[in-house]
Amino acid sequence: MSRRVRETFSAYHPLVSMTYFALIFTCAMFFLHPVCLGLSLSGALAYALYLDGKKALRFGLLYMLPLLVLTALLNPAFNHEGATILLYLRDGNPLTLESILYGAAAAFMLIAVIFWFNCYTAVMTSDKFVYLFGRVIPALSLVLSMALRFTPRFRAQITVIANGQRGLGRDPGRGSLWRRGRQGIRILSILITWVLENAVETADSMKSRGYGLPGRTAFSIYRFDRRDGMALLFITVCGAYIARGAVAGGVRFTFFPALAGAGGGLYSLSLFAVYGLLCFMPFFINVREERRWRSFVSKT
Amino acid sequence: MKRGDIWTKIIAVLFVAAALLTAWVWDGGARRVAGPAAGSDLYRADAAPARQPRPAEPVAATGSGEEFSCFLSVRCDTVLSNLALLAPEKREMVPADGVIFPAAEVTFHEGESVFDLLRREMRLAGIHMEFTNVPLYNSAYIEGINNFYEFDAGELSGWMYKVNGWFPNYGCSRYLLRAGDEVEWIYTCDLGADIGGGGAVTGP
Repeated sequence: MSRRVRETFSAYHPLVSMTYFALIFTCAMFFLHPVCLGLSLSGALAYALYLDGKKALRFGLLYMLPLLVLTALLNPAFNHEGATILLYLRDGNPLTLESILYGAAAAFMLIAVIFWFNCYTAVMTSDKFVYLFGRVIPALSLVLSMALRFTPRFRAQITVIANGQRGLGRDPGRGSLWRRGRQGIRILSILITWVLENAVETADSMKSRGYGLPGRTAFSIYRFDRRDGMALLFITVCGAYIARGAVAGGVRFTFFPALAGAGGGLYSLSLFAVYGLLCFMPFFINVREERRWRSFVSKT
Repeated sequence: MKRGDIWTKIIAVLFVAAALLTAWVWDGGARRVAGPAAGSDLYRADAAPARQPRPAEPVAATGSGEEFSCFLSVRCDTVLSNLALLAPEKREMVPADGVIFPAAEVTFHEGESVFDLLRREMRLAGIHMEFTNVPLYNSAYIEGINNFYEFDAGELSGWMYKVNGWFPNYGCSRYLLRAGDEVEWIYTCDLGADIGGGGAVTGP
């Protein structure tokens, strides 16, 4: 938790964060240019490491690395397109360099997006989401913010129930397979009963607090000041420049039949530079703030 | 053990038995329906015209049989008049005369099919070729040659084959080669209509 205190990008206005993540998700999913993939993945990794530290690193090594290898190997098993034939598979279809590289690129893209989502969930908490969309789509934003917290809640409740059952001498981790299965079903049954009852209680509670009444206001602590304006302007300008460049083919890359794409030109380089700035923006903001903080501390 | 538990188990076993029985009966029914219709074979190929060879069951070519020679060519001239439909990165790869593999005399072994011949010759010539095996037609299907794939030049495009001037109406793994056969692989942009082979697709 001590790291979170100096997480500056989360302290920006929700509109800034939302715009940033909407833009970065779109770019991360559509730009398959290797340079863009590298920038997006390193930006996401840097930010995830800053937010979560060792946990993000372990997640990356434990789940993302195998995913990368699996996707890179799986693609050429089904896709044999490409001009560079490395060797022939046993059934007679060619194994091509392009299909392997395409699989790797797709895996990099997937991993980058997953890491960006990790950052997103850490930054865009549900109160920010409801604050942003509460007026535009009130019902949907409420439902979404409630639905998104179901899974963690259920998981916590399952632990509570299992502990309770263990206290009664019905340990779900012991006994024959049949016994453990029955015990698991019993826990699920208790959970579902709890969920149904809890839903009724939540609905009553919300009704009594006036949800859905006209003119109801919500407390929010967000203020849009100069700093947020500057950040939003920066994101918009960068986004517009990149979007224009993407439409003009400045970050185009094709894997089939042979690798080809935009590269050495000055225009493409400028696009990559801007995209890199955008990807590392939260990281830069945090580092700058942390440095500033340290310098203040050392002076006093 | 309580009485209730025994009954639960008996009912569960009965359920599984009923499910298995249903699956068995269902499967038998499906097999009867999928059997060969009149005038076509097990793999739904229409009857070949008289004087043309009947489709054979593809077998693994041993390569030990007698050697014969035949002719093979691979062309994509139809693409030349449909360049606008092609993706820009593929446009550069179209040969100027539309010939990917010029007509040449090649050898084959007894019992080999048109597919075996294409696979071997493309590999020897270093030309890219991708296929899938389609159990429904009991044959390989050629998806792409030289990185020109089906649907690359419009949604009616793809590879077709022609032997001695006739477009067979069955898969290339089922056409057994005979000495002197003239095999042509041609790219169509209009389901065969633009290369004179529409009949193989729509039926006689």
